[in-house]
Amino acid sequence: MIRPAGSNHRPDRGPLPAARGIAVSALPDVRGRRVVVAMSGGVDSSVAAALLARAGAEVVGVTMKNFCYSRLPEESAAASCCSLEAIEDARRVAARIGFPHYVLDFEEVFGRAVIDDFVAEYAAGRTPNPCVRCNRLVRFPHLHARAQALGADLVATGHYARMVRGAGGRPRLLRGADPDKDQAYYLWGITRKLLDRTLFPVGHLTKRAVRAVAAELGLEVASKPESMEVCFIPDGDVRGFLEREAAAREMSPAALARLRPGPVVSTSGEVLGEHPGSAFFTIGQRRGLGVAAGAPRYVVALRDANTVVLGERDELLADRFELEQVSWIAGSAPDGGQAGDVLVQIRHRQRPVRARVIPRGTAGAAGATVELAEPLRAVAPGQSAVVYRGDEVLGGGVIRSALG
Amino acid sequence: MTGIYLDHNATTPTAPEVVAAMLPYFGERFGNASSVHAVGREARSAVDEARRAVAELAGSAPDEVVFTSGGTESDNLALRGVMTRAAARGRDVLVVSAIEHPAVLRAAEQLAKEGVRVVLLPVDGDGVVRVTDLRDALASHTVGLVSIMTANNETGSLQPVAELAAASREAGAPFHTDAVQAAGKVPLAFAAHDIDLMSLSAHKFYGPMGVGALIVRRGLRVSPTALGGKQEKTRRAGTENLPAIVGMGVAARTALAELATEPARLAALKRQLWEGISRSIPGAHLNGALERTLPSTLNVSFEGVDGEALILGLDLEGIRVSSASACSSGSVEPSHVLTAMGRDFDLARSSVRISLGRSNDRAQIERVLQVLPQVVARIRSIALVSP
Repeated sequence: MIRPAGSNHRPDRGPLPAARGIAVSALPDVRGRRVVVAMSGGVDSSVAAALLARAGAEVVGVTMKNFCYSRLPEESAAASCCSLEAIEDARRVAARIGFPHYVLDFEEVFGRAVIDDFVAEYAAGRTPNPCVRCNRLVRFPHLHARAQALGADLVATGHYARMVRGAGGRPRLLRGADPDKDQAYYLWGITRKLLDRTLFPVGHLTKRAVRAVAAELGLEVASKPESMEVCFIPDGDVRGFLEREAAAREMSPAALARLRPGPVVSTSGEVLGEHPGSAFFTIGQRRGLGVAAGAPRYVVALRDANTVVLGERDELLADRFELEQVSWIAGSAPDGGQAGDVLVQIRHRQRPVRARVIPRGTAGAAGATVELAEPLRAVAPGQSAVVYRGDEVLGGGVIRSALG
Repeated sequence: MTGIYLDHNATTPTAPEVVAAMLPYFGERFGNASSVHAVGREARSAVDEARRAVAELAGSAPDEVVFTSGGTESDNLALRGVMTRAAARGRDVLVVSAIEHPAVLRAAEQLAKEGVRVVLLPVDGDGVVRVTDLRDALASHTVGLVSIMTANNETGSLQPVAELAAASREAGAPFHTDAVQAAGKVPLAFAAHDIDLMSLSAHKFYGPMGVGALIVRRGLRVSPTALGGKQEKTRRAGTENLPAIVGMGVAARTALAELATEPARLAALKRQLWEGISRSIPGAHLNGALERTLPSTLNVSFEGVDGEALILGLDLEGIRVSSASACSSGSVEPSHVLTAMGRDFDLARSSVRISLGRSNDRAQIERVLQVLPQVVARIRSIALVSP
């Protein structure tokens, strides 16, 4: 073990002001341990870092640079990629608390694993979840690898999720304690091996408490608004993004066709109008259809040949669907068992419903069929279905298709 | 916080005697050197004293020293101030080396957009420009300016400035050298080597940031890049940065005095470091020849090691080094200098620059030789993840 010669920590600044009532006990003993904290510049990861520092960890803050802001249209990009506001916010928090902070470049892998996939999925008529994909393929595996290279066994993030130890020290992923903020949904795809070395320092807190801690510590990010958009589309204009990206890359004729105008039809086959490109629509979408109709209409299907199918609300219902890319963070698939054995969620904000999961393929890794105890609306291919038992995330998969 | 500081090519700590000399000029000696009254005259004489000191360091006459805001401004003033005039008289080719500092390369690119033809000279495997390549360029073009650095900032590679300047003089082309990294580490000989323009930066030799100089041979006309008052004989408008100029003067005196002993001391430390590295770490490659580089600069590539990870790993152990491919904003591009030397992408990305200075001693080098192999081994043991 290498002992630090010069200290990066700042005893000259004096101790941090005491933040009253912080339950640091939810963290394992991290005293003297080097922990890499993924810092987005937001309040959650800032407080995560602060709590670890208070608990005696040797915190190393890292902001992942995942894409270049110069790729964005000028009005939505904050100057250049080197002056990102988020990076500066994270840097300021690190300086305030007194731990080193680095910006690490993940542009190449993020571009390949997340952005390319995002464009390809929309062009295939599916609705991708880039946050799930980033956690599974970029943030957790790559950050853990970089952390190890820096001599840190542990990585912490600002997710509202909890990691607790079960029998024999087995790591279990639980929903965050704040039901309004729970983000465990986005984490189903990470491996158990990485979960074992991950800390969620704010997972046991409410958002209110996190803001209060930030305020007590004098962190300027305390009142920073929530980010709601996909990080690489800060203006929320998915359509504009897809149009720019499609123009900048080679796409199959079939994919390009879905970025061009095509027919809007009813479920009975009646032509209702024209759409600008089926790739810009999502199953369950109600607004912006450009079709006048008496009863509310929803996108119920996107057909291969660039056709948008509209139907009524109940036509969105499905009670079975297929999953692919299935992975079980709990270690194994839930037993085939009874209907209503587990809970399933097909969107971040959705009341979980009872379901039965029937794994398919090798060791349950390849796919699964989900049978719901009650039908759900808008089962969108590409979105994640996450399987829970109580508050514990058992695993999940990517929706391939709705059945029946 | 400082730890073991081995990044003197990035900047050096301002020497205590420099700080002490500057302080009165933030206070009671606040004058504007252009004022004719007593307060102004005091400022003027302080600037003149600094000008003499900088001229001695550069090997020029005092009236050839033009104070600027630093190396970047000096480089821009040299290229733009000479090239735009030369191009107007038909000498429209600018010759620069492929390993110049971005201050020269970006200024050359901009001139190219404005119609100047830019010839980029290659370097050999040790990062040194061949004099024959310059002679060839001078023979086949009507060259308005040649700009080749004295020592490279990344590898420390020393260029044959005397021969390059002589070849340029022979062909009637003015010769500029960016001596920012060389000042205080190797003797400079502006006049003796027939150099026409030389850039200096105070904070690279224990002076303050924000001040530098362009040495301009008497009689060579340089068009100012910013228009305004008649300071610096109309070559650089704007009120003189009095405290900083005073600081640069004091730093120049010390740097000149230390040339007798300090480079040899640093060269010994550098040899100790390289011998230790090559003994204890397999797959370490020196970038640049040990004896043809600045006595203070060691640039090494470690096979299979991401240079950025190494820099951060050493930082966490209190050892401050840098690399051309790591920047605070996280963008990672292979160094243009190492690429020009023929290093492949992977080796270029696996390099670190260790630059020594006054504060370093044998004990620190021993400590580095203790830590470095462990950090390199740790990084090599982590299998890289791919999606």
